[in-house]
Amino acid sequence: MYWGGNPAECHPRHFTKYTLMQKSKFLPRGRKDRTMVLVDIRETKSAKASDIFLQVRPGKDFELITILRAMIKEQHVGDEQIAETGMTREVLDDLVHRMKSCKFGCFFFGMGLSMTRGKHMNSAALLTLAAEMNAFTKFVAMPMRGHGNVTGADVIMRWQTGYPFGITFNRGYPRYNPGEFSTVDVLVRGDCDAAFIIGADPGATMPQPAIEHLKRIPTICLDPHVTHTSNLARVHITTAPQGIAAPGTAYRMDELPLPLKPALKSPYPSDEEVVRRINAAIAEKPFWLAEGSQPQMITNQV
Amino acid sequence: MLRITGGKVYDPANEIDGQIKDICIDDHGQIVDSVDGGRTIDATGMIIFPGGVDVHTHVAGGAMNFARAMTPEDHRRTQAFIRTKNRRSGLGGMAPTTFATGYLYAGMGFTTVNEAAVPVLSARHTHEELADIPIVDKTTLTLMANNEIMMDQMEAGEYERAKNVVAWYIWAAKSYGVKAVNPGGVAAWKWGADAKQLSSPIAGYNTLTPGKIVTMLATICDDLGLPHPMHLHCNNLGAPGNISTTLDTLKHLEGHRAHIAHSQYHAYGGDGWDTMCSATAQLAEYFNTHPNITTDAGAVLFGDTVTITADGPWQHLLYKLTGRKWGNLDVENETGCGIVPYTYRPSNLVNAVQWASGLELMLLIKNPWQVFLSTDHPNGGCFWRYPEIIQLLMCADFRKECIAKLPDKIKGRITLPEIDREYTLYEVATSMSAGPARALGLTQKGNLGVGCDADIVIYEEEDDVARMFSHPRYVIKAGEIVIEDGDIKETPEGREFLVKPNYAPETHEFMRPLFEDCYTMQFDNYPVELERIENPVMQPLKLEK
Repeated sequence: MYWGGNPAECHPRHFTKYTLMQKSKFLPRGRKDRTMVLVDIRETKSAKASDIFLQVRPGKDFELITILRAMIKEQHVGDEQIAETGMTREVLDDLVHRMKSCKFGCFFFGMGLSMTRGKHMNSAALLTLAAEMNAFTKFVAMPMRGHGNVTGADVIMRWQTGYPFGITFNRGYPRYNPGEFSTVDVLVRGDCDAAFIIGADPGATMPQPAIEHLKRIPTICLDPHVTHTSNLARVHITTAPQGIAAPGTAYRMDELPLPLKPALKSPYPSDEEVVRRINAAIAEKPFWLAEGSQPQMITNQV
Repeated sequence: MLRITGGKVYDPANEIDGQIKDICIDDHGQIVDSVDGGRTIDATGMIIFPGGVDVHTHVAGGAMNFARAMTPEDHRRTQAFIRTKNRRSGLGGMAPTTFATGYLYAGMGFTTVNEAAVPVLSARHTHEELADIPIVDKTTLTLMANNEIMMDQMEAGEYERAKNVVAWYIWAAKSYGVKAVNPGGVAAWKWGADAKQLSSPIAGYNTLTPGKIVTMLATICDDLGLPHPMHLHCNNLGAPGNISTTLDTLKHLEGHRAHIAHSQYHAYGGDGWDTMCSATAQLAEYFNTHPNITTDAGAVLFGDTVTITADGPWQHLLYKLTGRKWGNLDVENETGCGIVPYTYRPSNLVNAVQWASGLELMLLIKNPWQVFLSTDHPNGGCFWRYPEIIQLLMCADFRKECIAKLPDKIKGRITLPEIDREYTLYEVATSMSAGPARALGLTQKGNLGVGCDADIVIYEEEDDVARMFSHPRYVIKAGEIVIEDGDIKETPEGREFLVKPNYAPETHEFMRPLFEDCYTMQFDNYPVELERIENPVMQPLKLEK
C-alpha cells in the first residue's frame, strides 16, 4: 500500500526493483502474486500500476487511518464518518479484508501523508496502524524519502549525536529540537554567524528571510555545480560529484548502505577531501575554548 | 614505555591472585619482561586487572542506531560529554552515541567489546559505526541462524555447502564469528510466526527444524576452526517455562563448543506470567557438568532501558505486553530485529525474578571461566552499570538488602536468598576479562603475560566496590594511558579483529545466482571491502594440523 506517494514519477525504480515486479522464492509469479493499493488525493501516474486506487479527500488521511484502525478491530464506525473521507463502507470492508488476509503487508508513505494537514500525526497514525495489523498478519511501514542520501545524513547524525537532524552543539554537546535548531529556523532567526553548506541548495528552496541571512554572513558552499547557494556564498569550492567522480557510501531508504564506485575521474577534490583539509587546518589553530574552562561531562542535563 | 610498580595484580590467565608484581610495557603496546626508562606508575595500594572484555554487547549497527532514533527523550536527560580538544561530544544513556560508548567503556576499565549481532547486509554500516567508537578494540559476530540461503542448504542436507556458505558470509561481513538468534524463529517471523519447539519444522520449510540448525551451525563453527564458537541466543527467549527449551537446545550441542548468550533470559520455570519462577539451578547444574559450554549472564538491573534484539517475534510480544514504542526491521532474507523501550521495576514480579536469575546464574555456576559479566547491553541494563552488578556479586549483605526490597510474593520463586557465595577479586577479574577473552579466542586479551596487549586497568582499592569499579585510577590501552585520575587523556582509535575462514573457491560463483534471486542489491557490492575496516587485525583460525 502506497499512501501519499507517487513512486511512478518520484521513485521510478521502486516498483520494478523492490515492490511489484520482482519474482521471488515465495512469490514466483512476481506482479501477479501481489496486490497494490494506492491511497492519494489525486489519480497520479502511480494509480495505473495499482490494483486498487483509493482517492482520499484532501486533508482526511488521519481520519481514514483512524477509521481503518477501528475497523480492523471490528469497532463501530458511522457511515457519515466514512463518507467524510471520500470512501464507502464497501470499499473499506474489502480493503480491511485484504489487509488481514495477506501474508505480508507493507505501507510505503510519502510526503503526501507526512507533509500535509496533520503532518507527523499522520505518520504516527499510519505507523500505529501497521503495528496493530501485526495482531492479524505480518505488516510493516516504511517512509518514501526524498533527496539523494538524506537517509545517510540521518544515519550518521544518529550514531554520532543520538539525533537525526535539528541538532545544536551550542552548549558543547548535542541537543535536539526540530523547529528551533533546524537549519531553516536558525537562519530565519539569524542565530548563526557563518554557514557551511554541503550537498544542498538552500538558496533555491528556503524562505526569503533565511536566504537573506545566508547573504549577510560568510557562507561557504561545497558543490559540483554553480547553484543558487553558491551564487550568494562568499566561497564556493567546486567538488567532484559523488557517485560519478567521487567514491563514498549512499544509504537506501531502508537504511542499507551501498558503496558508490566512481565511473569518471574529476579534476576537483571530493567533498570528503575538502572537509578533511579544513579540519586539519583548524586543528593547527589553538582550541577555541581555554583549557579547563568547561566541564568534561555533565551528569544531568538541565 | 611504561612500568607499573607495587600494585596487587589479579591476572587469572596466569594464575596470579593479588601478588605484588611489576608490569612493563614496551613502545609497541605489549607487555614485556623489563623496560629501560620511560614513565613509572607507582601503584602501591592499588589493584591491577587486565582490561575488561565484554563478550556480548550491542553498541553499533542498524538496530542500535534505530534505538537511538527511538529514544530522544532519554538522550535529553542523560549524561552528556562536552567536546574538548581531544574528545568529541556525545550522549550516554540507554543507547549511547558512538564516541560516548568508547569513553564510557574505557571509563570503567573495559578495553575490548564484542558487538554480538551484525546482519551481513548492514555490516558495512556497522564497521563504520565501530570506527567511530574510540579507544576500545572490537569484534563482530554475523547473524546466521535465519539466513535463508544457508537454511536452504541445511534443509537439502548439503552440509559441506552450508559450511562454505557460512564461511563465505563471515568473510563477506568481515566479521569474527557466528551469532545464532532464535534459530528459525526470525525467519518464521516473516510469516508472522515463531519457532518455539526445537523439533517442529520452521514456517516456510518442510523438514528443517531449529534443532537441526543449532547442531549443524555449531558443527560448522567447530569445523571452520573459528576462534569463538557458535554464539547462541536460544529459542523461546523470555517466556515462562523456557528452561525446557534451553536444556533441549543444550542437548543438541552435546560434543560441541558453544557460547550461550544472556542465559538469564532462558532460565525460567512456571507455565505463565503469574507462575514464572527462576529455574537457574537446573541450568547452572548443566553448565557445572559441561565445561565445553560458556555463557554470559545477561543480568537485569532495575531501571529504564531499551531492548534490542534480532528476535523479532519476541519484540512483538513485548510491544503487546507494554504498549510502548515498537520498531521492527526485517533484514531481507537474512534476519530481522525489534526494538522496544522497557522499564524493569522491582515491584513487578516477573522483573524481580529476572533480576534474581541473572545473579543466581553468576553465583551458581561454579567456574568463573564459564560465566561472564554481561547485561546483554542494552537489553537487561546499560553496560555502564556493570559496577553495580559486581557489587551485588561481591557483597552478600548488600544483596540481602536488595532482596528485602522485592515484593513478598517473590518467596519460593528464586533461590538467590539462599546463596551466600561472594565473588573474590580474582573471580571478578576472570568473569569480566580473562574468561570472556579466552571464550572469544582473543589470546592477546584478558592476560597480563609477556607478549599480550597492554590493556590494563588500575583501581584504587576501597571498600565501596561499585565506586571502585566505576572510577578506575588509570586505564591503559595498548600501552597508552587513556584515563588518568578520572580524566580522559587520550582517545586512540581501536582495532577490529577479523577471521577469514576457509571456503571452497567456487563458493563465490555458487552464491551469485542464489543471491541474485533473492537480494535487492548487486552481488559485487555486497561483501564489505577490507579497506573499509579501520585497523583490521587478522586472528588465526583454530585448525588441527
